[in-house]
Amino acid sequence: MSDTTAARPLTAVEPLPDDNRSRRRIGRIVIYAILILYSLIIFLPFLWTLSTSFKTLPESLQLTIIPREPTTYGYVKAWTQLLPPLPVMFLNSAIIAAIATLTNVFLGALGGYAFARLRFPGREALFLLVLGTLMIPDQLRLVPVYQILVNLRLIAPGPENYVGISLIFAISATSLFIMRQFFLTLPFDLEESARMDGAGFFTAFWRVLLPLSRPALAVVAIMTFQGTWNGFFWPLVILQAPAHWTLPLGLSQFRFQYSADWPPLMAMDVIATVPIVLLYLFFQRYFVGGLSAGAVKG
Amino acid sequence: MLGIRLGRGSLGTERAQEALAGYAFIAIPLALFMIFNIGSLFYSLYISFWRWEILGPTDFLGLRNYQFILRDEIFHTAVKNSVYYTVIVVPIQMALGLTLAVTVNQIWRGRSFFRAAFYFPAIASSAAITVLFIYILAPDGLLNHLLELIGVVPLSFHNRGNWLGHSDTALNSVIGLNAWTTSGTMMLYYLGSLQAIPSEVYEAAKVDGAGGWTTFRRITFPLLAPAHYLVAVVSVIGALQLFDQAYIAGGADGNPNYALMTIVLYLYNATFRQFEFGYAAAVGIVLFIIIFTATLIQRRFFGSSDWASSR
Repeated sequence: MSDTTAARPLTAVEPLPDDNRSRRRIGRIVIYAILILYSLIIFLPFLWTLSTSFKTLPESLQLTIIPREPTTYGYVKAWTQLLPPLPVMFLNSAIIAAIATLTNVFLGALGGYAFARLRFPGREALFLLVLGTLMIPDQLRLVPVYQILVNLRLIAPGPENYVGISLIFAISATSLFIMRQFFLTLPFDLEESARMDGAGFFTAFWRVLLPLSRPALAVVAIMTFQGTWNGFFWPLVILQAPAHWTLPLGLSQFRFQYSADWPPLMAMDVIATVPIVLLYLFFQRYFVGGLSAGAVKG
Repeated sequence: MLGIRLGRGSLGTERAQEALAGYAFIAIPLALFMIFNIGSLFYSLYISFWRWEILGPTDFLGLRNYQFILRDEIFHTAVKNSVYYTVIVVPIQMALGLTLAVTVNQIWRGRSFFRAAFYFPAIASSAAITVLFIYILAPDGLLNHLLELIGVVPLSFHNRGNWLGHSDTALNSVIGLNAWTTSGTMMLYYLGSLQAIPSEVYEAAKVDGAGGWTTFRRITFPLLAPAHYLVAVVSVIGALQLFDQAYIAGGADGNPNYALMTIVLYLYNATFRQFEFGYAAAVGIVLFIIIFTATLIQRRFFGSSDWASSR
């Protein structure tokens, strides 16, 4: 490539400046046109959902973007008439996602710290073992995990069912990986001075390192919350009592029950999605922070 | 490597304490991984050799569960659907992700907006997205309304405008749905690699008189080889595990007429409708082998000299 560059005179290949400028402008218009068109393709379905959630039943079958007679019928019906009630499913989603977020942040930080900064025999091998679990498809674990949870009596109509799902979501290899990579970037004399002052390993971790790791903790927290809130496969398998259903499970059920009654179904869709959209609006950069870490899955 | 030297002065004690602290810190996460991941892998293999129902193992079957699987016609349908889905959706995901990344990478003003906008579908749950598409693709849904608007009569199609409800278009509809959902994620993977290409490379091409298309085809595309590999592997693994959308749109049977029956849906049915845990575990192992083989093939393909030399 560079050989030919040297051989050719510059002026011979550069088009006239005027021609160049107008061509570039047309190019830019085309690019923005593509981007705006694709944005429409992305947002139109969401707008349609939002619009339908405020429509009457007859209008939900018509092509109107702004409802002619806006009504909260869909929301009222979704919120008050489902069984299990929508507020219960919302609460289940929130409880399960909150527990998973706490455990992933705490265990991820604890384990990530040890894998990054404490020296112990077998450290690298154990870390590779943890990363290797990313290669095991969830579905392969379906039968054994279910059998283990049955044996532990955690597939049950009682609250111990929440313990069962929380064990499965308690820590992900991705959370550990993100925390470890972050702790590797901090200077190593940080906790040494704390140790000099007589602090134990846990105190040094808790008082000195943890307060410095807020950005990584935020990535783990956001990723876990979103993943658990949206989760479908494990809740479907483990939460068999309707009283324990999360919002995605409810959606998959009521999609048959309310197959012709779009406004409440779309209202439920909106209610299930809004918390994550709010998180995305405020913490957008943390959402994609784990993406590169997710790449180790390959 | 770092041996614990107990009782050799303060340094040894310090080292031993550090190692103990290390084990204590990783104890809980490691125990969970050992039980629910690594242990489960071997447990799964063990279960797959038995007739194993709700009450546990009854007869040792050896490899017979695997023989039953390979003979079952519905399993053939499931494999056919999953493979068809993968073969079609992955190139679409890659092309869409690459196109979006290259396009977004051309601009400065509004770049972060478009990047955030295209990633937006990936933050919603598979259930919410699938239910939304069931509505849009219904006979009297948004898609058909828009088609009518441009003069196309969906009722004249042989699926009568029932995109997810007709066995000829159901799986293709799910392909469209998931290409739409994942395009932003794939774009982000590509964007990361695009921005890592040094600008001197483009300048050299420009001086060389290469036009936009030539630059893309001869320089950008080959330089993105690591990203192609990453995106392909991630997409194929995800595609072979298709479940949520198929289950929500088509129910446990993958309706209509098994058009949405996938390998994982088949595994789910074996577990929770037939309660044949041994059989289901064997299906899981077969799925793992399929995914593992697909990943190896891609490594061979992308690792070939043709791709490596373009780095």
